[in-house]
Amino acid sequence: MRNITLQIEDGEFFTLLGPSGCGKTTLLRMIAGFTELEAGEIRIGDRRIDILPPHRRNIGMVFQNYAIFPNLTVAGNIAYGLKARKVGNAEIATRVADALALVRLHGYSERWPHQLSGGQLQRVAIARALVIRPEVLLLDEPLSNLDARLRVDMRGEIRELQQRLNITTVYVTHDQEEALAVSRRIAVMQAGQIEQLDVPEAIYRRPTSLFAAQFMGTTNVLTGTVAPRAGGPARVRVGSAEVEVADLGAREGETVRVCIRPEALQVLAAGQAAPAGMAKLQATIVGVEFIGALSRLDVELPGGSVLKVAVLDNPATLARSGDSIALVYDPARVIVFPQGAS
Amino acid sequence: MRALAIAPLTRLPLAMGAAAFIFLSLFLLYPLWNVLSASVLTPDGTAFTLGNYARVLSRNFYRASIANTLLIGLLATITTTLIAVPLAFAIARLDIPGKLLLIGLAALPLVLPSFVGAYALLLLFGRAGIVTQFLNAWGVPFGSIYGVPGIVAVYTLTLYPYVLLPTVAALKAIDISVEEAAQSLGSSTARTFRTVTLPIIIPSVLSGALLVLIETLENFGVPAVLAEDMPILSVETYKLFIGETAANPSAAGVLGVLLIVLTASVLIIQRRYLARRRFATGARVAPPLIRIGGGWRIVATTYSWAIVLLALVPFFAIVVLSFMEFRGPVLHAAFSLQNYAELFATAQRPLANTLLFATLAACAAAIIGVPVGWILVRTRSAWTSLLDVTATLPFAVAGTILAIGLVIAFNSGGLVLTGGWLIMVLAYTVRKLPFTVRASSAILHQIDPSIEEASISLGVSPLRTLLRLVVPLMLGGIVSGMVLTWVTVASELSSTVVLYSGPWRTLTIVMFQALEGTGAGVAVAAASLLIAVTLIPVLAAYQLLRRYELSML
Repeated sequence: MRNITLQIEDGEFFTLLGPSGCGKTTLLRMIAGFTELEAGEIRIGDRRIDILPPHRRNIGMVFQNYAIFPNLTVAGNIAYGLKARKVGNAEIATRVADALALVRLHGYSERWPHQLSGGQLQRVAIARALVIRPEVLLLDEPLSNLDARLRVDMRGEIRELQQRLNITTVYVTHDQEEALAVSRRIAVMQAGQIEQLDVPEAIYRRPTSLFAAQFMGTTNVLTGTVAPRAGGPARVRVGSAEVEVADLGAREGETVRVCIRPEALQVLAAGQAAPAGMAKLQATIVGVEFIGALSRLDVELPGGSVLKVAVLDNPATLARSGDSIALVYDPARVIVFPQGAS
Repeated sequence: MRALAIAPLTRLPLAMGAAAFIFLSLFLLYPLWNVLSASVLTPDGTAFTLGNYARVLSRNFYRASIANTLLIGLLATITTTLIAVPLAFAIARLDIPGKLLLIGLAALPLVLPSFVGAYALLLLFGRAGIVTQFLNAWGVPFGSIYGVPGIVAVYTLTLYPYVLLPTVAALKAIDISVEEAAQSLGSSTARTFRTVTLPIIIPSVLSGALLVLIETLENFGVPAVLAEDMPILSVETYKLFIGETAANPSAAGVLGVLLIVLTASVLIIQRRYLARRRFATGARVAPPLIRIGGGWRIVATTYSWAIVLLALVPFFAIVVLSFMEFRGPVLHAAFSLQNYAELFATAQRPLANTLLFATLAACAAAIIGVPVGWILVRTRSAWTSLLDVTATLPFAVAGTILAIGLVIAFNSGGLVLTGGWLIMVLAYTVRKLPFTVRASSAILHQIDPSIEEASISLGVSPLRTLLRLVVPLMLGGIVSGMVLTWVTVASELSSTVVLYSGPWRTLTIVMFQALEGTGAGVAVAAASLLIAVTLIPVLAAYQLLRRYELSML
């Protein structure tokens, strides 16, 4: 990990996103104090914390596997950090009750961890981290052990809690959808470095690297050559088809990668003209996958390149393998990267 | 990303590791160094020489002691494996009546003192043995059990759990779908066992077999009772060192070094190539029991129960005999408490010593072993590996040799311990340290490190986290390590026999001396008391020990 400079705003929900091994957890553990820094420093406000042992940093951490102390009750778990801070018994009782209310676990204080479900353990872990009134809350893949539906509920709850308490939060995940849903800003990481740091919409719509484009959701990547510019809009030749782009940044004849998201392509109903400002592509359907709300089409461009297209379910239109169709897209939603880009 | 070892996070393991290492250096490595140097120095201790080795190895008697030790060890390893593997298969995969009790009884020989078993064999089948005399009276000839046959028989019956337990675990850990895959590909049941099951369990079998080999090489008590004139390394080392006529530390050193080289090489093979390959497949559920027909079921049941009970018969016999009347060495078939009366008249102090030493050693082994176990699981560096090797070394060092080293190291100079009780407790602590280390690390593997990190990040220092959170969570493993230490120290003979002095005799010494004299009655009473002393804590902590027994082998 090298050359990482980050400034996280007060009360911000900040996410470190990347594939496993990208260094996101290492960075989080450096903030928590469980991984030593070789160089550089970490500050909270004006206070330098990287020289402090982890138990003096006053940081709340929620672990991937919850790390609930199995030998303590729910209340015992939540009171643990308060006892370490020599908080009086009466105050501990109130603060534990408040924390339980915060995570909606009233009445669970005397339960034992083995009696709780995964989601409840998660809430205990969050309450335990928040009750010490940390300056920063760290969450290390907190939802990865929950089932899919609960994960969606919990992430909303975490986001809502964070907003209400206005606590500076650093969240680590490998799930791009989760990152998009909860974060104010996201740092996309790869190989120990930050690839892109921006708000979710910008990262999804205007990725600055091919890696970011491919990691965030599904995208079509086509290799082509910048076509001669004959007065009209810039074009990239892919096989025998031409893709219109709004923002080129490459010279004529140069080989480039063209990225377009499946949902940026729309199927044009037969006989209709392309709406103003939209470019058009002719293609043949080679595969249809119906997954409910969406149909995923594989379409082949003249010249053999295959694109993925996402179409909202519509009983009126019937896509069949072998059909010829016209696709329209906004050239502004096509991103071009130079060939050498990873 | 490389996490450099610096600063507060690593201070705690560093301090604890250093303390453990100093302890082991002082009371394990330094004594062993003394044994080594005694073997390579001239009698006046000034010059290096290999003459001692040449002298000892030139004598047929000592060459024979090496050959005998190896022969007995290999024979016992083979017989143990041959009886234990089918038993393991029966226990793990067949439907046998009374299986729970069977498993419980099968593990018992691990904690029962093997030399008591040897003594029982002597009482029953020895020259003046009860069974021998009975048979002779009927004119049935009966061969001698002294030397190889008796020793191998005792080893086989007392050490078979070393092979049995890992093999049962391996058989239960086999993912049944691997066998099913073989069968669905057209392999018969027998062929599947030969080509799939057996290769998977072989590392576990061999790993256990090598532990048996190490035990036989080191064992002092069994050959001391049964070898008669046959020279055995551990016994001859002891005799050379104690030397009733002329003590010969350099010759004892030579034999000691040879013995350590033997045991250490076996241990290295066991750890390097086998122990790691255990549990090659990790099944979540044990494979279902194989249904077998009535005839085979009877065979399997008889075989399993016969072996398990046969191994316990000697101990049972000792207890029964202890309530009979002895006149000198001659037994009379009448109930009597005379043996116990005699024993308690003379052996109250030794009994108290035994209980005290076992307790002290168990506590010391926990205090040193638990931090070592924690370091081995939680940190990784070259120092960790060194500590691991050092803390495993006691497995490879015969009690006699360690004791000789301790005597040489601490009989003069700044720290004089020879002749006192402390040196005995230190020897026991060092010898049994692997139990607490391994029991601790076994349970730590099940405690997620993030539990500790959670505690630290909530504001509790690493040391307090270890003491207040981790140690309570580890309690099951710690207690079972301590119980095993306690029990094996109570029946320890090999280092005690070198280290004890007048007031610090233990029960095992009382028994050992009674064996050499004519006090058979006192010996059986002492042996029965030893059985009780080892059995009671084991039965009390039975559930715990069952859970961790395997990790401590």
